[in-house]
Amino acid sequence: MATTSPLTKLIEQFRSLPGIGAKTAARLAYHVLSLNKEQVAALAQAIINAKEKITYCSICYSLTDKDPCAVCSAAARDHTKICVIEQPQDVAAMERTHKYQGVYHVLHGVLSPLDGVGPEDLRIKELLLRVPNIEEVIIATNSTVEGEATAMYLARLLKPLGVKVTRIAHGLPVGGDIEYADEVTLSKALENRREM
Amino acid sequence: MRVNKLILYNFRNYKQLDQNFDNNINVLIGRNAQGKTNILEALLLGSLGYSHRSGNDKEFIKWNQENTSIHIEFDRQSIIHTVDLKFNMQNAKQLYYNRFPVKFKEFIGNLNAVMFSPEDLLLIKGAPALRRKFLDSEIAQTNRYYHHQLLKYYRIVQQRNILLKKIREKKAAVHLLDVWNDEFIKYAAEIVSIRQQAIKKLSMLANLMHRKISDHQENLKVSYLLYDGNENINSSIYYELTNLHELYKSKLEQNREIDIIKGSTGIGPHRDDLLFAINGMNLKTYGSQGQQRSGILALKLAEIEFIKAAAGEYPILLLDDVMSELDEVRRQQLLSFIKDRIQTFITATDKNLFLDFKQAVFLQVIDGKVLAMN
Repeated sequence: MATTSPLTKLIEQFRSLPGIGAKTAARLAYHVLSLNKEQVAALAQAIINAKEKITYCSICYSLTDKDPCAVCSAAARDHTKICVIEQPQDVAAMERTHKYQGVYHVLHGVLSPLDGVGPEDLRIKELLLRVPNIEEVIIATNSTVEGEATAMYLARLLKPLGVKVTRIAHGLPVGGDIEYADEVTLSKALENRREM
Repeated sequence: MRVNKLILYNFRNYKQLDQNFDNNINVLIGRNAQGKTNILEALLLGSLGYSHRSGNDKEFIKWNQENTSIHIEFDRQSIIHTVDLKFNMQNAKQLYYNRFPVKFKEFIGNLNAVMFSPEDLLLIKGAPALRRKFLDSEIAQTNRYYHHQLLKYYRIVQQRNILLKKIREKKAAVHLLDVWNDEFIKYAAEIVSIRQQAIKKLSMLANLMHRKISDHQENLKVSYLLYDGNENINSSIYYELTNLHELYKSKLEQNREIDIIKGSTGIGPHRDDLLFAINGMNLKTYGSQGQQRSGILALKLAEIEFIKAAAGEYPILLLDDVMSELDEVRRQQLLSFIKDRIQTFITATDKNLFLDFKQAVFLQVIDGKVLAMN
């Protein structure tokens, strides 16, 4: 039986990554082969390093190389506000705003009976344990059906504990002209209007 | 609205077609399986982005070919617009409006079309799902927000049903149902509210049409039937959104046990129905064959007016093989409604049905080719 060539194997590895098709996988593989040995070793080492050193923060469950993570251990941040998000990559998105000074909590998913995800599969218990020292929980799950249901579930759990629960606004993008907004976005924006 | 040009490439049994339509009324004549309906299907695809016949896009591609495209040039408010659809064996379909790639939601509703085919004759006698589909596609053509909310609603029902089954098998806690109920109530109430407003308009228009068709002898009324778990309520009393919220809230509570046992959601817009009544009598159970056909014709004509009211212009009308299903009187009524204001595409096997129809252009369809005919 013929063994798979190392090149085919490399292409297949790239293909298994999200968002990469056959052509891109081949291009990446040929690119790797064109690099010199040190560069390839550095790339491989970077992958292994990342996998070995990065873990979940034991407080907020975002990705970090030291525990607790930079956000959770920063004294300058407001530790009475928690922003609840779906995925670790959402932390980076929120951080880019430079506006949010509180801390985070990553759920690692949303409620979805279809995918077999229930409350026990999310970091909800861990969130409840943090609540006694908290004044406000900002729920920033996506506005999908599952994201909304999860937000609703958390609000029902948290409100009886006497903590303020808020939901991020959904509507018009900043800089977007009303005339160019689609009907769905505009309807949502109208629904979420606020008094001035 | 008027289609000036249709270009097909490897579409179903057409290798290549480049057809101009100069006339308002275009009759496609040909024997079975020559490709008459394929032309109507291509035009409908240009309007809705999906087909009434098939859910599998690969079926559009001519046998042994790799890809297919549809190009339609049409006139809206005296300006020429184009829509293109491209399908191939590997990737998802690509949609273009005025030659720019667009998403599905930006594609639908640019070219408005109404299709009338023999399946529509089941609208009154057939299952409630047909009537809901009729209503939903009609509202969605002119209200994109509704379409979006409807998709979300179906997703919620799907999630809720899976959860119900898990609760039944003791794999999930009952209290988890609460959040899905809240979401369900919000969307269900909104959908029913939009549907009721649409039905109000549609009923008025359909009655106008039906009175003409019946020589002012009969009144047609369309009403929305809200299913509450036991019976259909003629829903004019639950018109307000807040009332709908309360209704669904209490009914979901009441039906909780049954829903869990059945593992499905027993109430909601996905169970509702429409009621057609002629002079106060239920058309489905007591109407004659002829009255039912008149009723459907009135509904279809009302649908055309409904779209005109929302879009500002008449849609194009696609009549697939229905002429032979209608009797002489109703055929004349339909043709006099179309007159010279609605561009119409008609398929038929027999030219003799249109002998007294002078304004029409006849096109012969033979094995994937369209020829002029006199």
